Amino acid sequence: MNIKVFLLALAFMYLGVPLLLGDNNYLIGMIASALIVAGIAVAWALLGNLGGMVSFGHAAFFGVGAYTSAILTMDYGVPVFVALVLGGIGASLSSIFMMPALRLRGPYFALAILAYAEIFKILATEATGLTGGGGGLLSIPSLPVFAGIDFGTKLGGYIVILNIVTLMVITYFFIRRSSYGLALKAMHDSELATRIVGVPATYLKIVMLVVSAFMTGAVGAFNAHYINFLEPDYAFSGTWTVFPIVAAIFGGYRTLSGPVIGALFIYLIDQLVFKNLLPQGHQLILGVMLTGMIVLSPSGLLPIITNLFTRTRGKQHA
Amino acid sequence: MELTAQAIFTGVLMGGFYGLVAVGLSLVFGTMKVINLAHGELVLLAAYIAYAVESQTGINPLLALPIAMVIVVGVSLLTFYLTNGIAKDKELNSLILTFGLGIVLTNGLLMVFSADIYSTQTAWFMEGVVVADTLFSMRGEIVAFVVGICALGALYWWLNHTWHGRAIRSVSSNREAAKLMGMNPTKAELWSWGVAGVLATLAGVMLYVISVIHPPIGHGLTIKAFIITVLAGMGSIPGVLIGALMIGVIEGLTTTFFQSSLAGLSSMTLFLLVLLIMPSGLFGKKAGH
Amino acid sequence: MLKVKDLCVSFGGVRALQNVSFEVQQHEVLGLVGPNGAGKTTSFNVLSGIVKPTAGEVTYNGHDILKSSMHQRVTHGIGRTFQIPQPMHELTVRENLIVSQRFGRPDGKVKHQRIDEILKSVNLLHKAESDAATGLALTERKALEVAKALATEPTLLMLDEVLAGLETTSKKQFMETLKEIRKQYSLSMIVIEHDIETIMKLCDRVVVFNFGKVIADGDPEETFRNPEVVRSYTGEVHA
Repeated sequence: MNIKVFLLALAFMYLGVPLLLGDNNYLIGMIASALIVAGIAVAWALLGNLGGMVSFGHAAFFGVGAYTSAILTMDYGVPVFVALVLGGIGASLSSIFMMPALRLRGPYFALAILAYAEIFKILATEATGLTGGGGGLLSIPSLPVFAGIDFGTKLGGYIVILNIVTLMVITYFFIRRSSYGLALKAMHDSELATRIVGVPATYLKIVMLVVSAFMTGAVGAFNAHYINFLEPDYAFSGTWTVFPIVAAIFGGYRTLSGPVIGALFIYLIDQLVFKNLLPQGHQLILGVMLTGMIVLSPSGLLPIITNLFTRTRGKQHA
Repeated sequence: MELTAQAIFTGVLMGGFYGLVAVGLSLVFGTMKVINLAHGELVLLAAYIAYAVESQTGINPLLALPIAMVIVVGVSLLTFYLTNGIAKDKELNSLILTFGLGIVLTNGLLMVFSADIYSTQTAWFMEGVVVADTLFSMRGEIVAFVVGICALGALYWWLNHTWHGRAIRSVSSNREAAKLMGMNPTKAELWSWGVAGVLATLAGVMLYVISVIHPPIGHGLTIKAFIITVLAGMGSIPGVLIGALMIGVIEGLTTTFFQSSLAGLSSMTLFLLVLLIMPSGLFGKKAGH
Repeated sequence: MLKVKDLCVSFGGVRALQNVSFEVQQHEVLGLVGPNGAGKTTSFNVLSGIVKPTAGEVTYNGHDILKSSMHQRVTHGIGRTFQIPQPMHELTVRENLIVSQRFGRPDGKVKHQRIDEILKSVNLLHKAESDAATGLALTERKALEVAKALATEPTLLMLDEVLAGLETTSKKQFMETLKEIRKQYSLSMIVIEHDIETIMKLCDRVVVFNFGKVIADGDPEETFRNPEVVRSYTGEVHA
């Protein structure tokens, strides 16, 4: 993405949105939730685009991150902002159990991860001593006051999740540009060619899985402190897998901005429009969109739009 | 001892039903290398049609089979056309596409039938039956088991003894060679999706007579079907049956001796172990790597 | 420095290599010759870690390398090319070399000056920003194949028919390039070639393969006078 456009978008998100909607808790909360989805979508796309792995199990990382952070703050008095990072680390650690699955090819990996996510969900429900089981954890501490700013408000939460997502996108940008990113890009269609020059292919995939898990876990941790409540069915819900996939596919999972724009668009239109049109089963439209995208343009909507633009511009110049 | 026997008995009955759920997915996976993540939702769709027919007319839900078959086979073929149109990276894109279709079906059912839980009102299916003096089951479970075994047997015969069946088998074992021998792989794939639709219909109607239905369970059925397919190895119908029986018995034992909520955990763990240790499944050739 | 001893490889009952032994000394260029399917490329595949041998030993500078993974062998200094060039897709020529330097060198450093030097030595500098998979002609693809291997900074370079398929002028040029590279980087090399003239010009010693066995090993000129070697060659022509 063009750096100017990126900075402009960033300025809008940091200044424009709070100034325009700062008093509207409902809308700010909605956009913050969309950014939560955006965070998972970026992590999902990082694994898919760089690691070449489609995951149906990111809900597991989200849930592990959420519970790690909630338990650390509630039972061990860890400060919330520290716990957000530890939530990410917890999710990374949980991804270690999934590493054997990296030996598996595409669809098998995708479904093995799905199975892992189910196992995590069942374990969280059964480990009542730790997670409170199906009854859930209540009154998880809110985001604290820090440097004189109360991050526990809707607007404060919005700023925090915006920081997290921005950091993630920047990290993704640098990974993609690094030699790791180059090697991973080359591995898609020419794995032998990369391995024969010394690229440790499996190791790189492991790194991507750990990074993606960390990101998702940190977002999950944020969410726990943002809504102050957790139960296994919610924290490990398939929604945390469905929304990010739809968002990333819709926006174009091979681009940096695609997952974020996709998430903002998909989540907001779902909550503000579809949900009102169809109170029950509004995710149907998401399914239609996902199916439609794969049929019409698997690389996302953004490439189509950019294509249109460059084509019309090209014509004008000609 | 009696408890164990009862657990195994129930497990075997459920296994016959699970085999019926899984075999359609396995068939399509074999011919087209596409994992239909909407398969469980197709099964559930058939179950809801059975419910609709029963609740509207009061007739036996088994009589809903023809209409359910028309609709489910139709949706199955539509799924085939959509996945067949994928140009790039078919294996993964078809996964995402059918995942999306699953969401559409689940939410469509939610919209039409609400989130309420339904089960058959035909009491005949829920009457208890005692087998061999000590083993108890519901009549519906026996019916589902018998239908499952018969369907698997019929499919096995069909694949081995009819022209279309053989075409499907040769396309699944070697697509290019089948092409060279003058077969049309697309036609064979179309047939396998059609037959998978028929099998999903049977499974769905059976689901309705032995269990309760509500919209989110389709996803779980897909996962179960996929687990059994992996256990079986590619394209092995006896493998599907044995894998399904294993899952049924393991779930039965877990439910009896621990608790029902752990049944999913045990089958999931078995699945991961097999996938990681024996990627070609218990009875199959190549897969996984 | 490289010692191969009693190497055996079978593919589903077919014995591709039977008790193959040979050595490569420092700064030596060894030619592997013999008809197609005689086991030359299979030997490369074993040395680079693509194929696991059923028996035998391979040591490089005293280390048992059969236990090392493919990428570890590269960092140990064993580089190779493929007969069918394997460019890294979606990357430019320069990026191909960056990745090779980053992961092929033991210290993982990328030296851009070195990359330019390598590109220059194989005449690819003008194509540095082209797409490696789609933007190169055959000679250039072969050159990139060599450049990639060089960028991993090997001490032993294995070349699998890099000259095959080139027309005479580019073949000659390429051969000069190889000689220069060898001198410049003081490499040991193993070369698979069919063309006897090329072998004579390039190699210090040859090992002749036939039906998975080594049937001769020695000075190129002498070896090609050996009747058994000649037979295996003419046999191939008529086959």
